Amino acid sequence: MEATTKSRGRTLLTSQLRTQLVGVSIGVLISLLWSAAKVSVPKVVQVAIDRGIEADDGDALLRWTLVIGALGLVSAVGQGFRRYFAFREARWCEASLRDRIYAHIQRLHFAFHDTAATGQLMSRANTDLQQVQSFVVMIPMTVGNFIQVVAATVILLLINPLLTVLALGGLPFVNMLGKRFSEALHPEVMAIQEESAQLAGVVEESVAGVRVVKGFGAEPIQAERLRVEADDVYGASIRAAGVRARFLPATELIPNFGLVLVLGYGGHQVLAGALTIGELVAFNVYVVMLIWPLRMLGQIIAQWQRSVAAAERVAALLDTEPEIVDAADAVPLPPGPGEVRFEQVTFGYSEAQLHPVLDGLDLHIEAGTSVAVVGATGSGKTTIARLIPRFYDIAGGCITIDGIDVRDVRIRDLRRAVGMVFEDTFLFSGSVTDNIAFADPDADRAAVERAARLSGAHDFILRLPEGYDTEIGERGFSLSGGQRQRIAIARAILADPRVLILDDATSSVDPTKEHEIRDALNEVMEGRTTIVIAHRPATIALADRVVLIDEGRVVATGTHDGLLATNERYREVLASALETA
Amino acid sequence: MGMWMAGGVEEDERLDRGEAAHVIRRTFRRLRPYRKQMWLAGLVVMVWTGTVLAGPALVRYAIDQGLRDRDTGALNLAIGLYVGVAAVAYVVYRAQIVLINRIGEHFLRDLRLTVFDKLQKLSMPFYDREKAGVIVSRMTSDVDSLSELVQMGLLMFVSNGLLLVFSLGLLVALSWQLSLVCLIAVPFVLVASVKFQRDSNRAYLDVRNRIGQTLSNLQEGIAGVRVIQAFGREEVEADRFGSTNRELFDSHMRSVKISAWYLPVIDLSSVWTTGAVVGVGGYLVHQGDVTIGTVAAFILLLSNLFEPIQQLSQLFNLVQSAGAALNKLYRLLDTPIDVPDPAEPSHLGSSSRIVVENVSFAYAGGPPVLRDVSLEVDEGERLALVGPTGAGKSTLAKLMARLYDPTEGRVLLGDVDLRDVSIAELRRRIVVVPQEGFLFNATIGENIRIARGDATDDDVRAALGALGIEHRFLSLPEGLDTEVQERGSRFSAGEKQLVSLARAALVDPQVLVLDEATSSLDPGTELLVERALERLMEGRTSLVIAHRLSTAQRCDRVAVVQDGLLVEIGPHDELVAKGGAYADLFASWSGGLAAR
Repeated sequence: MEATTKSRGRTLLTSQLRTQLVGVSIGVLISLLWSAAKVSVPKVVQVAIDRGIEADDGDALLRWTLVIGALGLVSAVGQGFRRYFAFREARWCEASLRDRIYAHIQRLHFAFHDTAATGQLMSRANTDLQQVQSFVVMIPMTVGNFIQVVAATVILLLINPLLTVLALGGLPFVNMLGKRFSEALHPEVMAIQEESAQLAGVVEESVAGVRVVKGFGAEPIQAERLRVEADDVYGASIRAAGVRARFLPATELIPNFGLVLVLGYGGHQVLAGALTIGELVAFNVYVVMLIWPLRMLGQIIAQWQRSVAAAERVAALLDTEPEIVDAADAVPLPPGPGEVRFEQVTFGYSEAQLHPVLDGLDLHIEAGTSVAVVGATGSGKTTIARLIPRFYDIAGGCITIDGIDVRDVRIRDLRRAVGMVFEDTFLFSGSVTDNIAFADPDADRAAVERAARLSGAHDFILRLPEGYDTEIGERGFSLSGGQRQRIAIARAILADPRVLILDDATSSVDPTKEHEIRDALNEVMEGRTTIVIAHRPATIALADRVVLIDEGRVVATGTHDGLLATNERYREVLASALETA
Repeated sequence: MGMWMAGGVEEDERLDRGEAAHVIRRTFRRLRPYRKQMWLAGLVVMVWTGTVLAGPALVRYAIDQGLRDRDTGALNLAIGLYVGVAAVAYVVYRAQIVLINRIGEHFLRDLRLTVFDKLQKLSMPFYDREKAGVIVSRMTSDVDSLSELVQMGLLMFVSNGLLLVFSLGLLVALSWQLSLVCLIAVPFVLVASVKFQRDSNRAYLDVRNRIGQTLSNLQEGIAGVRVIQAFGREEVEADRFGSTNRELFDSHMRSVKISAWYLPVIDLSSVWTTGAVVGVGGYLVHQGDVTIGTVAAFILLLSNLFEPIQQLSQLFNLVQSAGAALNKLYRLLDTPIDVPDPAEPSHLGSSSRIVVENVSFAYAGGPPVLRDVSLEVDEGERLALVGPTGAGKSTLAKLMARLYDPTEGRVLLGDVDLRDVSIAELRRRIVVVPQEGFLFNATIGENIRIARGDATDDDVRAALGALGIEHRFLSLPEGLDTEVQERGSRFSAGEKQLVSLARAALVDPQVLVLDEATSSLDPGTELLVERALERLMEGRTSLVIAHRLSTAQRCDRVAVVQDGLLVEIGPHDELVAKGGAYADLFASWSGGLAAR
């Protein structure tokens, strides 16, 4: 299992990078050029010292000085372009994967979203992709660094093998320390983030719940909770500093010993005439130069491991197959009056369907009529609403619209034909018009206003600061629950659906304003197949017919007044609602 | 290399000279407890800088005195000293990481506690004025930008600054002629660095905004996925997200371009200066003005010159944003408290009679919300406050619980002005139950205990029992230890209300202020809430902000607030019979009910 999941992450990374082969290759090639130039500079400096200064040859000195200048130019230009390509490919990789994740999330079925936490999905498309990005950006640099290390070693070996061993002998430890440092630091950095998030949580709560804090005098308790979190952040930060203190000085110490050995052994070699001063300086410069590449090489190993783990999580999400998809031979939904029929429908949310929510449910809603579905909590009334637009597939029986099984038509057509108002009215950031015209962004102003009038939203929209252009949603103008619901109803009826479903759509409307929305709904429902899920008698009374659901079946049908008069269970279900109204 | 784009500060938040001086002075004042550690840290950083510079100087000595003069003793001395320098460097490097981080993190911890303490002391008017997101950001993004500086930048900033200054000094001391050669590049590097610092600041802010935009679109796409699917808009939304995502990519690329030209400029300056030092140095050696060891030392020292400039130019953004953050935090700490604790608190008597005397209230600079309201609430009485939204009934209730202080007039509990009592004592006598049950991310037991930290599990059970709702919570999988997750999304609005009532019962106050919920609860719990509420109010002086007149009907008296004035007060039946404002309200309300 472990092996297959790991390779899934690796496969995702390689398949994505294959599409960016040209850019990554250019980055690597430039990086090689840059490395070559960079590695040559100290060697040329050495030659300039030895043949120019030491030999006291002015022409040679000028010549080699100019070579240094030219190499500097090549290295600088190379560095700029290497950086550009490295980041371009890394960010492109990140952006492409994020696009894929978003599009995939949109296609995944309701049952998936019922169990998935928003925060989890967010971190797939955010922090996990950051990890992947951090690896990709290092690819060209790593190749360059590797070449630098090899080339510098070869140059030094050609000058003096024994001194090379002495000078560079400790450097592999730098590499190892780099990897260990990165591995040790990462969990501490994560811990700081985690603790900071917890601290932020306490602050957010104290501000969001300030009425509770002030009302009950809970300040001392919140202060204590914050102190605990602040201490945790402090502890984690000090631990991270401890890791830095343990590794960073050591990574400087090792090359310093190399330098001592260069000076010690190399100095005596110079005295013995076996080495030039220029060569000695070159050794010095190369040792310093290799510290950074070696540390980076160590870090990229650790980064690769983190990236693969992150890519694995992303791959697991992308590999989740959407369960509600068009059948291979799905047909367009032909026009029809909007007749809905449930035949022996069995359905349960859990995988095993052990506890069916609907158990052999039969329900026939004639075209153009309205039905109120009433039942106690958990009776399955909301489920009925969610099965018609095929948000879930049923385990047994069938659901038809105008005689066609919902599983046989194109999902797009089906959902176009069914207008849905959810219990929690989710509005998007955007203008009122954008929200109402959600199903059909090309709808003209007249159509938007018509829908708003029908849902009883027109009047309050005109009173908003910028009328239909007022920005609403998370960062916009905040609307009351009732206002949100009326906009959600307008959104559902804009496309003139043949079936309209109102899932507890009037629950947040202020009781004193309920009659307004009731008048509006009466007009909307006129001649349209409508299914109303409700527990307020006033809303139930809007429907032509009432269906009482209990334990996944229809147990009674009739008019509101009729059931109230004859059905004990119906009275029970409504009892508490009536009492408080 | 990940930190090439750290920090950034909006143009209007940039500190001017005076503000910067103020922030620095105040920061040093806050750092006073760590004075000794700071001196020590300063010393350690100096020693470390010395070790960095000692390397090239020793190499120079070894070459000139040892190698050129063929003096083995001098060479060995240099080697010995080098070993010593390396050892000292190791120790002080370690010490400076530990010291600087310890001081910085201590400072941050103190700052977090002080700021939070201030936030808690600030009263309701402040929370009504300021946006919640902005308040939270003081404790999150502002403190974070400081901690970023402490964790990654502070040490670098200090040591690079010192290194730059000392390197320059050393270069000049070694050879003024060669130093001039090095200095030719400095103006170019400085101009490039200033330009980089400005451009990268702008680019950073742009990237940060677009990341925020992308994440909020992402979140909206996930939270609204059901609506998107219900309307068949999956592909359109994916395209829309794609364009936001693409803009983020473009913004990243713009910022990369800035560092992609800047870094090579520094690199080029460094190499060309090396070339110039070799060329000119060779000529000077030929002339006999400098030694070859000096040239070698220069070559080695050059990296100490350009790297710090490069690092400082980007750290500058980090420092600036930290300065702006500190400025905002200090301003918050200076915010006056609207409802202060008295300097010498008096104590409350046993009476729970509330007297409101000629009370007026207005928000700072705003029109009056309440005008000259006087009323009395007897011990154990239930008073309903009714009136249209915005008429001032909630404000009146808040004044009576001292969530606000009146602009004129006074509120007495017993015979004591509320302003003369410590807020902690007052909260044991008057508790305000807000409209919506708010749950903290803690266990149910801890959520109930927030009002009284010393309460035991038995106390909590007793409070639940007094309200007749213990079965509802003790039957949870882990009873009172059940964790409330994601701010109680698993609990219904009614259950949250019950927790809220249990909090009040646990405090066992004499006076209750209740804000009735406007939206209806699920029918099952609604009844339970009603009954628990009834039990809670039993025997207590209660003020109910009533949104439904059925609630007002059940109270002893009703106070009608309209346009900031107390227009009527009296028992429900009397007011209805009188045919005034309340009678009108009641008629239209019961008319609405009849229409159902």
